[in-house]
Amino acid sequence: MTKAPYCVHRMIQDLTANPDAAKRFNDDVEATFAAYGIAEPERKLLRDGSPKALQTLGVHPNLQMKYFKIRKAPNPGGGAAPLAYYLDKLKRGD
Amino acid sequence: MGKIVGGFGVPHVLFDPDGVKDQADRIFDGLMRIRASIRKLDPSVLVLASNDHFNNFNLSLQAPFIVGVADDYVPLGDMGIPKKRFKGQREFAENFVRFAASKGFDLAQAEEISPDHGVALPLLLLNTEASIPVVPLYVNVGIDPPPSPTRSWALGHVLKEMVETARPAGERVVVIAAGGLSHWLCVPEEGRVNAEFDLDVIDKLVSGRGQDLSALTSDELRRQAGNGGLEITSWIFMAGCLPSASGEKIFYEPIPKWITGLGAVALQGQ
Repeated sequence: MTKAPYCVHRMIQDLTANPDAAKRFNDDVEATFAAYGIAEPERKLLRDGSPKALQTLGVHPNLQMKYFKIRKAPNPGGGAAPLAYYLDKLKRGD
Repeated sequence: MGKIVGGFGVPHVLFDPDGVKDQADRIFDGLMRIRASIRKLDPSVLVLASNDHFNNFNLSLQAPFIVGVADDYVPLGDMGIPKKRFKGQREFAENFVRFAASKGFDLAQAEEISPDHGVALPLLLLNTEASIPVVPLYVNVGIDPPPSPTRSWALGHVLKEMVETARPAGERVVVIAAGGLSHWLCVPEEGRVNAEFDLDVIDKLVSGRGQDLSALTSDELRRQAGNGGLEITSWIFMAGCLPSASGEKIFYEPIPKWITGLGAVALQGQ
């Protein structure tokens, strides 16, 4: 199985931890790619950003989900889980 | 001498019940049954084995087993989980780390963690009032290689030995494993659920054959249960705390819409 270069994983981890950096990334992805030394073949897949592209690149599954969130893309892994239904049941003591 | 008075395996996700309401309700009801059982057991401490989802631990530093040793924790709040503070149990956690070191396990310790749904969701449902102190054990299956079923089973034995030989008389410990069952996440097989394998895991656990699972390799577990199903490794730790214990299947629900099989078991203390 392909494994993405660590620079890709490091970038996603850093953007996850820093919302301001994530905003700057979305404003200018190329500048962030350059800052992390990400090469053109990996950039192409990251620009695509689809599940298939990230799997081809070998991005860790948990970091794929983080990347979808950073890119504000629909999360095919489930995304946010509304707990209101269960919290209400807990509150009612069902 | 303390005692492990019960062990439970539960999911650590709940998703939108739309379209699967009956299954969602059976899961919730089963978890409420477990909550009642735990209250009845009157534990001094909960040891909760689960995994983080790259919210506290990522690829920057990869440790197979991490024990939360803090005095208290505030959940991260992912999935809409309330950020309600809950108590840790530092003395128990540090005792576990030292005892394990004497038994061939060098466990990492974490002081600063904001537990994500892996730990916080089962606590919301099972320790709702946050009245029981918790020691989180992260079985870090997101790394490669992950902690193996064999080592996790053996670490469960270490916890059992510590509780029975190095803890105060009357201490009552409940061990909860949270995660699984089979699911494939962000891989081409996503959406597949291996109900046959999940039910076999449950059957082995409730019939006192949990040790059979300790012979699985991580590769075999990944093949049968998916990359997400590696979370079953936490259940194998729990079973190692209660070797040969029998128990009860509380529920099993395969829900492709949620891309996972969800199960729960209760094992009796010994």
